[in-house]
Amino acid sequence: MSPIDRRLLIHMNWFLLGLAAMLFFVGVLNLYSASGFRLEQGMSVSSFYQKQLIWGLMGFAGMITFMLFDYRHLRTIAWPLFWVTVILLACVPVIGKTIYGARRWLDLGFFNFQPSEMAKITILVIGAKILSRSSDPLNIKNLAYVVGVGLIPAGMVISQPDLGSGLNILLILGGMILYRGLTPKLFKTLAVVGPCLIPLGWLFMHDYQKRRVISFMNPASDPLGAGYHIIQSEIAIGSGRVWGKGFLGGTQSQLRFLPEKHTDFAIAVFGEEWGFAGAMALLSLFCVFLYQMVVTAREAKDLFGSYLAAGVFFYFFWQILINMGMVLGLMPVVGIPLPFISYGGSGTVVNLCLVGLVLNVSMRRYVFKQG
Amino acid sequence: MSLYESKTQQPPKNGLLLLQGLILLLFCIFALRFWYLQIHKGEYFSEQARNNQLRQDSLYAPRGLIRDRNGELLAVNEPAYALGIVREDCKDLDATLKTVSQWTGVDLAKLKKVFKKSRRRVKPFEPLILVPNLTFEQVAVIEANSLHWPGLEVVVRPRRKYLQGPLLSHVLGYVSEVDEAELENDSELAVGDYVGKQGLEYVLEKRFRGVKGRRQSEVDATGRRLKQRILNPPAAGEDIDLSIDLGLQELGGKLLEGKAGAVVVMNPDNGQILAFVSAPSYDNNAFTDGLSQKEWVALRDDPRTPLQNRVIQSVYPPGSVFKMTIAGAGLYYGMVKPEDTVYCPGHMQLGKYVFRCWKKGGHGETGLEKSLVESCDVYYYKLGKKLGVDRMSEYALAAGYGKPTGIALPHEKSGLIPTRKWKKRRYGEIWHPGENLNFSIGQGYTLVTPLQVARSISSLINGGRLLRPQLLAGEPAEEQGVLPINEKQREIIRNAMIETVDGPRGTARRLRMKGVVVGGKTGTAQVVKLTDELKKMKDEDIPYKYRDHAWMASFAEKGTERYVVVCMVEHGLHGSSGAGPVVKAIYDYIFKEKKEKK
Repeated sequence: MSPIDRRLLIHMNWFLLGLAAMLFFVGVLNLYSASGFRLEQGMSVSSFYQKQLIWGLMGFAGMITFMLFDYRHLRTIAWPLFWVTVILLACVPVIGKTIYGARRWLDLGFFNFQPSEMAKITILVIGAKILSRSSDPLNIKNLAYVVGVGLIPAGMVISQPDLGSGLNILLILGGMILYRGLTPKLFKTLAVVGPCLIPLGWLFMHDYQKRRVISFMNPASDPLGAGYHIIQSEIAIGSGRVWGKGFLGGTQSQLRFLPEKHTDFAIAVFGEEWGFAGAMALLSLFCVFLYQMVVTAREAKDLFGSYLAAGVFFYFFWQILINMGMVLGLMPVVGIPLPFISYGGSGTVVNLCLVGLVLNVSMRRYVFKQG
Repeated sequence: MSLYESKTQQPPKNGLLLLQGLILLLFCIFALRFWYLQIHKGEYFSEQARNNQLRQDSLYAPRGLIRDRNGELLAVNEPAYALGIVREDCKDLDATLKTVSQWTGVDLAKLKKVFKKSRRRVKPFEPLILVPNLTFEQVAVIEANSLHWPGLEVVVRPRRKYLQGPLLSHVLGYVSEVDEAELENDSELAVGDYVGKQGLEYVLEKRFRGVKGRRQSEVDATGRRLKQRILNPPAAGEDIDLSIDLGLQELGGKLLEGKAGAVVVMNPDNGQILAFVSAPSYDNNAFTDGLSQKEWVALRDDPRTPLQNRVIQSVYPPGSVFKMTIAGAGLYYGMVKPEDTVYCPGHMQLGKYVFRCWKKGGHGETGLEKSLVESCDVYYYKLGKKLGVDRMSEYALAAGYGKPTGIALPHEKSGLIPTRKWKKRRYGEIWHPGENLNFSIGQGYTLVTPLQVARSISSLINGGRLLRPQLLAGEPAEEQGVLPINEKQREIIRNAMIETVDGPRGTARRLRMKGVVVGGKTGTAQVVKLTDELKKMKDEDIPYKYRDHAWMASFAEKGTERYVVVCMVEHGLHGSSGAGPVVKAIYDYIFKEKKEKK
């Protein structure tokens, strides 16, 4: 078949594509402002937005690649993909590259490859494969199986150490499990046992992670240390008020009070410059974007496609929830970027590829057989 | 199972509902949160953003300039670079202080002490002065690294510079960094400010200080100033012209070089001080940035006592310079008539003690004028015995001795005019008749400052007015008292002083000048009771510290121009030879060189 089958194009979720593109360009625009800072004379804008555009082009290319093949092929290669990922993750502690004190990268010569990013995609695919076997609520045996599979890459990622990505993998899988549903008995048991496990997590946290939690509870306890981010972020957003300070008008970001303003705290810049009105528009954009994945999950030809879409949904949902929760001062500081809005090369590429995956599912919702 | 043979199964209905519910939840949580931050607390956070961004600080006001009577600059301000730390911008205090210590060589413990002491008084967003004086090299290092050390800031502020240094230290005094007590008492002061501590700088602090300005700046998170707006410009302190004549002062300083002593040149008609020299002196510039403990101790314990202001803080026995005062007392109380004479055999016996005249052979028949011209001691022994301590001290006090002159300088000494009461209190003894004799020739307990002598001489030729010595140009004369004797009596003493210069036997002959009326009186004040051993020695063999102090008190008149010059040279041996040449050189300058210059 030719990749540009008319039927495929007709059935594609164009709405989702448009929303992703809009979010991406809002992100670039915001990045332009966020990477600028005021000097004695005028402004200086660093080239982050240009780099982001280039990453975006690569991402759209990746997106198209993810649309070309029939997503159902993924089901066949799910297990090989899984084991390749596990092997790559296993290589990291041995031949990995250490950056910022954490060994997360594999040096591929032309660029640094992060197997933990790949693990997120892998978990979508393997999760979708296992969960789509049936649409009955999960019983304890099946649950243990799925979770057991997920824990292998997640545990390896956490031990790198990369707690954020590891939890991300578990959260994506957890979301997909909830999508499938649990037996009422199992659900009740987990609702009781789950919260009891949270304090245990404290024991496994690093000191810097504990500090973040403490300073989240009481940011004023250390206004120049870990609490600084939260305080400055709230000031930035709050001072935007209803209509914002205008594009390039944010004093918090341009005077560099706001840290990490072009990466994790990018939405604080947006909130400062575009105010409540802009924030609502962006939030709505995200919600409609997520909803379009729900639409695809509902209309998918098969359960595998539906679970893939749901997995991608959770992939974005958790990032949005955690990042905005952190920037708005509702959660401790965790280094998780906001999709499309935060600067980040591999993040942008993966985001767009996964949108491509959902588009793939949406394109092929009526296709039964192909030559 | 073939790739395309998936069963057509419905996606989980509850799952789809769950996803939609999550979207709704996401929207509600964050919409509410945005509303809370941006609308409900928007005003509060806007204020916070402004506080972040706008910062006020002080602009230092330059201290008032000091000039001499002819407009020559004596004290100016130069830019100085201080290292300040803005606590709010400083991310890691300990590391920053450590780095500062490395850059400036200041002990870390000392920096910590300064920081701890000052932090209470400096707002967190204002620079706290850590190191007051930076060299250009240090400034360069700090500026080059400032990006890595947010919170450190080079503060430029005016610093006092005394152009003549030691020459005027005893008049101008000095400024240095404000101390804890001064901060407590004066709310205008801030940590690190310079404040007058000595001399006129201390006395006129409020006039010199000026008013600091306020500046509002837009700053970024590293404390870098971007835009600035002056809210209040600083107001410079008042410029003040002194009565001092720099040329004369310089001459006085040169004349006393290597000596210890004092020179005062005063205008007798208004009390203005034209020269005020105390030697040896110290460099007042050294105090601006603070002396180290070691430097301070060295200066304080210097056996030459350069910190001592010999014009107003050193008290000396006046010796024969006091004879004008005793002569005045004699005339005032009618104990002596100008024409009466006394026979001086060279000594006088009182009880079992013998009091000697400085001239072994005696002066023979001696009248009042001759007693002053030739400085006969026996004449005054007899007069002193007649007058008694009560009259002598009463008159001496009226002549301005025994109390400060009130010159606008701190820590002036009163000197001492003994009384019966004082002796009783001080020694628990009654006043002995022999002490009257010592009193009469300016020895014994009597102690005076050179400035008191200058004022007293002035009163003899300015109509009997005791004027407050003035250091500021253009200040009106301030009369503090009147000499008890009348014009005729003053004239007698004045003429005797002129005769001391002009007469063939006068002791101040070396002051003689053509075309100028000069009057003078020498004084040789004993430092220790003369032992027989010392008496036999030649002058140059006497150990320095046992040598007599040399006085020369004088005035000169030419037309309406009148000057009083008093010179005192410690251990200068004889009034005429020790102090006389200094006074002569000053008159030469005033009446010849200065005129020629013009």
